[in-house]
Amino acid sequence: MIRLPLDPVRMRPLLGKEFRQTLRDPRAKRVLFIAPIMQLLIFGYAVTTDVRNTRTFVVDHDRSSESRQLVTALTASGYFRVTGVGERPADLINALDHGDVLMGVEIPRGFAAELGAGRQTSVQLLVDGSTANTANVALGYATRIISRYGLERGVAVAARAGAIVPSAGVDFRARAWYNPNLESRVYNVPGVMGLIVMLMSLMLTALAVVREREVGTLEQLMVSPLKPIEMIAGKTLPAVVVAFLDLVLVSAVALLWFGIPFRGSALLLITSSVFYILSGLGVGLLISTVSKTQQEAFMSMFLFLFPAMILSGLMFPVENMPPAIQYFTLLDPIRHYLIIVRGVFLRGAGWSVLYPQILVLMVMGVSVLWFAATRFRKTIA
Amino acid sequence: MTLAVEVRDLTRAFGDFVAVDQVTFDVAEGEIFGFLGPNGAGKTTTIKMLTGLLAPTSGTGRVAGFDLRRESEAIKQRIGYMSQLFSLYGDLTVEENIGFFAGLYGVTGPRLAERRDWALEMSGLKDYRRRLTGQLPLGFKQRLALGCAVLHQPPILFLDEPTSGVDPISRRNFWDLIYEFSGRGTTVFVSTHYMEEAEYCHRLALMNRGRLIALDRPAALRARLTEPILEITTDHGPATAQALQGARGVIEAAMFGRAVHVVVEQAASAAQTLPAWLETRGIPCRGVTHVRPSLEDVFVSLVRLEGGAVAG
Amino acid sequence: MRRVLGLSPRRLFAMARKETLQLRRDSRSLITAFLYPALMIVFFGYVITFDIRNINVAVFDQDHTQRSRELVEAFQAAGYFRVTHRLDRYQDIQPLLDRAAVRMALVIPPGFQRDLSAGRPAPVQALVDGADANTAGIALNYAGSIVTAYAARVVLRASQRGAPIVAQSRVWYNETLKSSNMIVPGLVAVIMMVIAAMLSSLTVAREWDRGTMEQLAATPVHRVEVILGKLLPYLAIGLIDVIAAVVIGRLVFHVPFRGSPVLLVGLATLFLIGSLGLGIFISAATKSQLLATQISLLATYLPSLLLSGLIFDLASMPFALRVISLVIPARYFIVVLRGIFLKGVGPEVLWVQGLAMIAFAVLGLTLAVRAFRKELA
Repeated sequence: MIRLPLDPVRMRPLLGKEFRQTLRDPRAKRVLFIAPIMQLLIFGYAVTTDVRNTRTFVVDHDRSSESRQLVTALTASGYFRVTGVGERPADLINALDHGDVLMGVEIPRGFAAELGAGRQTSVQLLVDGSTANTANVALGYATRIISRYGLERGVAVAARAGAIVPSAGVDFRARAWYNPNLESRVYNVPGVMGLIVMLMSLMLTALAVVREREVGTLEQLMVSPLKPIEMIAGKTLPAVVVAFLDLVLVSAVALLWFGIPFRGSALLLITSSVFYILSGLGVGLLISTVSKTQQEAFMSMFLFLFPAMILSGLMFPVENMPPAIQYFTLLDPIRHYLIIVRGVFLRGAGWSVLYPQILVLMVMGVSVLWFAATRFRKTIA
Repeated sequence: MTLAVEVRDLTRAFGDFVAVDQVTFDVAEGEIFGFLGPNGAGKTTTIKMLTGLLAPTSGTGRVAGFDLRRESEAIKQRIGYMSQLFSLYGDLTVEENIGFFAGLYGVTGPRLAERRDWALEMSGLKDYRRRLTGQLPLGFKQRLALGCAVLHQPPILFLDEPTSGVDPISRRNFWDLIYEFSGRGTTVFVSTHYMEEAEYCHRLALMNRGRLIALDRPAALRARLTEPILEITTDHGPATAQALQGARGVIEAAMFGRAVHVVVEQAASAAQTLPAWLETRGIPCRGVTHVRPSLEDVFVSLVRLEGGAVAG
Repeated sequence: MRRVLGLSPRRLFAMARKETLQLRRDSRSLITAFLYPALMIVFFGYVITFDIRNINVAVFDQDHTQRSRELVEAFQAAGYFRVTHRLDRYQDIQPLLDRAAVRMALVIPPGFQRDLSAGRPAPVQALVDGADANTAGIALNYAGSIVTAYAARVVLRASQRGAPIVAQSRVWYNETLKSSNMIVPGLVAVIMMVIAAMLSSLTVAREWDRGTMEQLAATPVHRVEVILGKLLPYLAIGLIDVIAAVVIGRLVFHVPFRGSPVLLVGLATLFLIGSLGLGIFISAATKSQLLATQISLLATYLPSLLLSGLIFDLASMPFALRVISLVIPARYFIVVLRGIFLKGVGPEVLWVQGLAMIAFAVLGLTLAVRAFRKELA
């Protein structure tokens, strides 16, 4: 006779209770199912490092057709939008101080004349360095556009002067693979999915166990014939199911609403998701062993999640982080899962490419859960 | 005599469920007024309406001369309240809880010191003033809660099942305190489901299923039951009660502790016939005594007349 | 009994003292309130950087001429890229990109130098891993700049002229474009909002959950007194946190502080009152600790992080999100923080944000008072 570590007969009422409790509360349902979708939508659209429509202030001392052409070149790119024009540099600085514009362009008098004579001239760019990222990128774009304009003018002038000048120079063509239009959301949405699944796994276990402890029903369960491992399974299995449902839900939104491609193996995704969810459950269970009240549990969960989110590579590429931190991120299950998710959705990566991450998740999932279960057993024994 | 509490047709419904159904009564100043009834009878809901925690669906009431609906804040200044579940702050010390409620009720300065010492004394926690309240045994918690409720010496005290879960000795001590308050002129409105506590009250209101089914002094209530009661002791209480239901001369039979109380038409004859009846059914009778009706008997009988208590 | 605006200061004080006593013993809340913000500011100040470096590039040079080598060198020299693979076959590109071993592949076709010298446009192709659209866009931007600059050098060398237009750039307020200068001030806003909302959301719900609300409700305490009494200790903590953040910013990251501390404290107070009021509102409306924390976190951390302009540029977002960001208080507070830290501006510039902060504080308090009822029903 095979002795299972769990007794299905005893577990069935426990599981039934768990499911009923979870699904009965309408407010809980909203949190479990609607919140993830909302998060997905916000993240999908908000997280972008494209810089467009940067408000710009122009001080044009020259007022020639060339200077106007330069400004047009800037605005035509779509990166810049002239929202202020002034006579004096002081106006520009004032606008920067007020935050009305993020960049200023000052064209000196004699700009056209210098260009026409084939001499070098300069354009002043002033950018607000206090804003996120915009300064860097905007400066880059502006410099490039101005240089190109200068080059075109220079070539035209030289040609008129009769010099033989190789025109145009280099024809730079770019192609983006996997995401031809370089849409930010294609990158972010799969990433956010990983975050949401982790959030749900954590929340469901951490809170569910602690709630029973707080209310006192945990004691009641403890005096019943349920074995500790059955209690653990009883708490974690429903959580796995709900987390999976969430995964399916956000995947559906990703595929149908955002139009994210899915080029890889669903089996791979499901397998790695299981281990990923297990690691989340493990952490959640751990949290529940050290929390006496639900509020404590939730706060601990958040304390863990916030850095885990930042270190996962969701919003900030890990390669840009200081080297020591990069090693540290290897401990973050979200990080590994994001590699898998992005690989599967966007690059069609298979087992041979992603096996390191899958292995890591497997080890993490199992070991964290096992460790948490041991601790849990001790606290209720 | 002025009335501490006046209630007319007070009703509270939660959707279709009527928790308190047109209840009418008065409570005189200085009385210990008991509210008796099984769980779900509507005692707690009534108290919550009187203390301004719940608004009545219909009906009127006055507490300390102030209208329930419109002047509930004025009422709160003049009453003390102890809720059914322990509701002091477990993560504050004994002293801190006292200090907090004193502050809310405006007990300050020298009066604060005096009342605080009194509260520590009466709850027996003088040596435990710095102990976290959550760590105290239940009996002490209840006494402390009572102390916090009367720091401002209110004329009316509302106690909602103050002794549930408390051991009998602590319960007696608690009631000694209630008597003390009453002796000093405080009106005490207390709800309970312990029958013996009902005996301690000046007047009793019996509630069942939201309705007031009796209102009188305990002695008068007991006198209502004119039929004699026999107490029959056997080894098998439930079976005995069952067996006696259909016996001749038996009006009703119910468990009473381990024995069975039987309301009979005639005490003497029943005392003869019933043991024999039981013998024929294989239940040896250990003892038969004629007892005076207790409140519990009265109550059970009244509730039966009303069609039974609410389940749960 | 003294009354101020219909409230009793004594009762208010009793409430505030009780909350403080409870808070003192709640070690987890204390850690969250004090230690965590400090840790996060230091941590994220180091971790989050906008500089992009070390983008791995594979080069497939089919020309093998001086010009093509010069181009590749230009890529190396720029400092953004690292040429990690030199390939001989086109097919080798795909596996590298699939594995994300490189982010970009540079393909120089044969005849590059020839075309350049002859005055024909010489094509150069960049294949970039578009999956990470953010980095890809930036990488292309850099690559494009390098190529354009190289092309300009070549063209102008031929005509023996210098570059016609030199763009002289100056960065205002944050000369070195240090990431931490951009992040740290803003981070204060996000963290404060989340912590404030989270902690305060627990306080009312906790009383309901534990049953102490009933006892409280039976006393003459006024609900405004309850709310203000609950708010005060957290406000104090929040202000301490803000001050600590300034100190950390200066000591650890050398973030300049050019504005008025008084203005900062004043606006921070308004911001905190609003956030705390919001938290209490959530608490009072849900009456359940569990739900209160969930909603407060989900409703505050995500919008504060993403839609406040802390990290991601608001102007580049879709219109709908920009509208939503108008009602996110952290957005205005970040402008205030950056203004005071980096720009050194004062009320004459920040009055708009100041108004927004006042509105936020008023709204938060009003919602809290409205939603909180002593009565059970």
